Amino acid sequence: MSTPKALRQSAALRYGSAGFLIFWCLIAAFPIFWILVMSFKSPVDAFASNPLDVVFGPVTLAEGDGLSIMDVILGLGVLWLSFRFAFRHLPEMVAKFTKPGSVILGWVIAVLGFALAFIVVFFSILPWLLQGVNAITGPLGDPFIGLTVQHYVSVWVENEFYRNFINSLVVTGGVVTVSLTVGTLAGYGLARSGSNLAFWLLILALIFRALPHSVLVAGYLPVFINSAEFLRPIFGDAAPTLYGKPYAVIAVLVAINQPFTIWMLRSFFQNIPMELDEAARVDGCSHFQAFRRVIMPVMWPGVITTGLFSFLLGYNDFLVTSLLLDAQNQTMVPAIAGYFNRETTTTDQVEAIAAAVSITAPLFLLVMVFQRQIVSGLTAGAVKG
Amino acid sequence: MNFKTLILAGAVSVAATGGYASCAYENKTPISMLAAGFEAWKAVADAMGECGNFNAELDQEFRTKQPAAFAATPALYQIGGVSNGTITPLLNEGTIRPLDDLVEKYGQHLSPNQLIRIDGKVMAIAMMVNTQNLQYRRDILEELQIPVPQTWDEVLEAAAKIQEAGAVDYPLGATMKSGWNLALDFINMFYGYGGALVDDDNMPTVNTEAGVKALETMQAMTEFMDPEYLVSDSTYVQQQFQQSKIAMANLWASRAGASDDEAESQVVGLVNSTAAPRTLEGGAPATTIWWDGAVIAKNITDEEAEAAFQLIVEGMDTEMVTANNEAAIWLIPGYEPTRLAEGAIETLQAQPPAASYPSTSAMGLMHTAAGNNVSRFLTGSADAETTLKAIEDDYLVSAKEAGLISN
Amino acid sequence: MKFKTFAAFVGPSLVMMLVFIAFPLVSVFMQSFYVTQPVFEQVEIESCTPGFPNPTCVTEVKSQPVIGDDGKMISETRFSGLESYRNVLELDRVKAAIGNGSWSELMNIDFWKALRFTLTFTLLTLPLVLVVGLGIALAVNNAVKSLRGPVIFISLLPFIITPVIGGLSIRWLFIGDGILTAAMEWWTGTNISMFAQAWTIEAMMMFYRVWHVAPFAFVIFYAGLQTVNQDTLESAIIDGANRWERLRFVIVPHLMPLIVFIALIHLMDCYRVFEEIVAFSSQSHVISLQWLTYDFLTPDDAGNRAISRASATAMLTMVGIVILLIYPLKRTWRDHKGSH
Repeated sequence: MSTPKALRQSAALRYGSAGFLIFWCLIAAFPIFWILVMSFKSPVDAFASNPLDVVFGPVTLAEGDGLSIMDVILGLGVLWLSFRFAFRHLPEMVAKFTKPGSVILGWVIAVLGFALAFIVVFFSILPWLLQGVNAITGPLGDPFIGLTVQHYVSVWVENEFYRNFINSLVVTGGVVTVSLTVGTLAGYGLARSGSNLAFWLLILALIFRALPHSVLVAGYLPVFINSAEFLRPIFGDAAPTLYGKPYAVIAVLVAINQPFTIWMLRSFFQNIPMELDEAARVDGCSHFQAFRRVIMPVMWPGVITTGLFSFLLGYNDFLVTSLLLDAQNQTMVPAIAGYFNRETTTTDQVEAIAAAVSITAPLFLLVMVFQRQIVSGLTAGAVKG
Repeated sequence: MNFKTLILAGAVSVAATGGYASCAYENKTPISMLAAGFEAWKAVADAMGECGNFNAELDQEFRTKQPAAFAATPALYQIGGVSNGTITPLLNEGTIRPLDDLVEKYGQHLSPNQLIRIDGKVMAIAMMVNTQNLQYRRDILEELQIPVPQTWDEVLEAAAKIQEAGAVDYPLGATMKSGWNLALDFINMFYGYGGALVDDDNMPTVNTEAGVKALETMQAMTEFMDPEYLVSDSTYVQQQFQQSKIAMANLWASRAGASDDEAESQVVGLVNSTAAPRTLEGGAPATTIWWDGAVIAKNITDEEAEAAFQLIVEGMDTEMVTANNEAAIWLIPGYEPTRLAEGAIETLQAQPPAASYPSTSAMGLMHTAAGNNVSRFLTGSADAETTLKAIEDDYLVSAKEAGLISN
Repeated sequence: MKFKTFAAFVGPSLVMMLVFIAFPLVSVFMQSFYVTQPVFEQVEIESCTPGFPNPTCVTEVKSQPVIGDDGKMISETRFSGLESYRNVLELDRVKAAIGNGSWSELMNIDFWKALRFTLTFTLLTLPLVLVVGLGIALAVNNAVKSLRGPVIFISLLPFIITPVIGGLSIRWLFIGDGILTAAMEWWTGTNISMFAQAWTIEAMMMFYRVWHVAPFAFVIFYAGLQTVNQDTLESAIIDGANRWERLRFVIVPHLMPLIVFIALIHLMDCYRVFEEIVAFSSQSHVISLQWLTYDFLTPDDAGNRAISRASATAMLTMVGIVILLIYPLKRTWRDHKGSH
């Protein structure tokens, strides 16, 4: 295929563009890569000022925690294979074994099964195998790089971080579901109404978005703590104390995120031709039926993209969750603050880093899975701004 | 027996064997506690938890949550963990109860030092004290033949010698992170020079000679410190000690143990501690004394209060202290001071005694005003007089807004 | 669409916003004109605290709130008019500073110091975010197809990472002898302290913000680039437009609505800059408006919070955002009129 001359790029431009991309990728990934490395080292290594000490971890190695070249090669190999399997073969298998109606169930089973298989292979078969391999490969089997999972063990097992993980799932799941349900309705209404009222509602939403969160949240706290008293006239003795309840936090986060959600969804709906719902209306559908039966099926890219933004907001929130949830329902991000108390030691800091990496890992997977949908969703909708 | 009862039986037996392992009795009333999250509270909360039906919330936001949670009817928590600073809002709002009758009934083993009396009534049960003391590298001082400094002048002299010898990167470390930490360093120094922050009518008296001297001494310290001192909190200073970057620091006593932690420290056994330095010859050490302890909410039933008090006594017993001897300077009988606690003990025994950090509203406002302004002097954007005036002005505005002084 | 249907669709969302945002907003607005304070009395109190060997007891005069018969603190609320705004703006000090012609004196007043930083931060990062975002989008669009996926993935990382964690991860690279500071020291042979002066801290904060937000601009721009009209592009080529001219006259106008969208979001988020102040503990050198609000609201040890002044700064922050948004909003208004 020949490119028109005018579209062909000079070598300088090509290399410049490639160089810029490489530079950017380094900047984008390095801080995250670095906390990943630090989280596997003993405190002395993690905060060493010589970067080579941080990477190779001599003190960690001296304590007897290390990996050999064979460990690294085989470990990376298994990781690579499982990723390939997850992204190539898993979707095919799901498509093959599920009926059209139960795709979601199929995916849940597939993901759970895959996770289980991965844990068995990576954490019990592989170490057992490597013990043998290391013994017979001589120098290749000697540990050369210090690495310890001790911080992860103390975070997840001793500090019961899995509880925070479950709480995060509950809150984030709630935020995404409610936010999208409420938001798609409003977005559709706003997109299809040309009235000035709709416009002013959107502007009002923007002004709502401008309010600093710290003042909002500080206002909620006394009301939430005393809500049992306030609500008693309405609910009687069943009046709940909203403080510490995940559903109260979900409602707050949804509300805070509504302005962005409805703006975004409105622009997606605007790109869906009016004729579509007009046709449905002619066939005797009500507005709501048209919305549910005709519009929603073509809206998925937009909903997924907006849902991702809601997910990020709910998952990453610190201000709201740290003040309005109690310890039993604490999510992961505020739980990290617990490592920075008035008696924080260096070990606590490294554990905080391990917790931070644990928080980032699901985000990593999420983007990996939904990356294509984000771009195609945005292409489909947000172009109108 | 069906499946469900089997599980239930299992759960009960686990609770029975694991639950009340080393508690003298079984707690029947559900009790929960809100406290700051650090090592000493974790130890006490674990000991309380052994009695069952107990739930501890160790939360970094407790300062914001505690006053509101205790003011609710009924209070959301029965027990609160406070210090002499954070007990103030609870006292002011009258949301905690006097404990005298409970002390008489269950508190025979408490030492008199644990009973925090306010207006003659026992309002809190203290478990530990904390104060700043001078930690120093014994080996460096010995090698350079410097006597252990007892006053800030001597500290600065010693710092100059250490800098000259080039033994470490920076001779001094200090917890001067802007905000709360910096303000406390200023207040300590100010008290050291014999100043009083406010008078009986809550009017500020910071812009005095003591204030100028305190600021000047702090600036003299910064000459020998890491230039990033305005972000250095106690964790950072502790790390500097562990990595052998500093030789001396007037640091929290509870931080001393970390320099002997083999997993983190490169200077195991080389750090000693002595009393917090004085500023005036024959004066009190330039520091304040802090205690941490437990209070009980007022808006709860008497049965709950009784159960809560029993839990406090059980959690703060000798057994817990022996198991966690190094977590704090405990006030509880059975505590054995370690080598690194010597400095704290010397500070506490010093005559004239260092002031206890006052539990007053004015103090909180002054602390904030100092925290927001002292750095102006240290960064050179204002002179001492202007800085002290700015502290007073800030204080006046907040004190008027808080109703402490009339307009 | 009939009003009733419209109301049914928009209702749930509107109710949530009214309950959780508008209602607090109104109360914040009201609070900025009122002051609530307890009634204090002077009492002489003996208090005993731990001492060695025996407890130390001191008798002193203390101000403490009066407790009413119902066991609650007696407090009174009074209308204070614009007093809280005056306390925040400190106009007489501003006048004095301007009279002396002293910039540093002006910068010693918290609100103006915060406003200066907030504005610099917002207005400097905006073009950076747009340019870097567009740059990455163009470069990715220019790259080999097979590489685009991984590059997009890596580019999105700074955006999805939890802000607190992202801020800390960059702080750790620079604080003390963090590896990047150590690298710069090795490179220049001098002792560098990134956290010791205002301008380096400001630079790090801006770097963090651009690092965090540019990927967002990038995906949006990248999506926009996929829909550039190829016919227009080709006719521009036939007209002899060079690469720069095509970018200037075809691509940028096509992306204009997106640029406005990103600018809108960015101005709003940036003007409320807060996490950076905490993550880089910069409050000695620079503070922002939202940090000021937060600082007023954070109770000190004695439980005092300056709620009236916090409300006043929050309202002033909102006014600032609305002023900044007037231009982009005018555009949206025209689009709205145009599309219907």
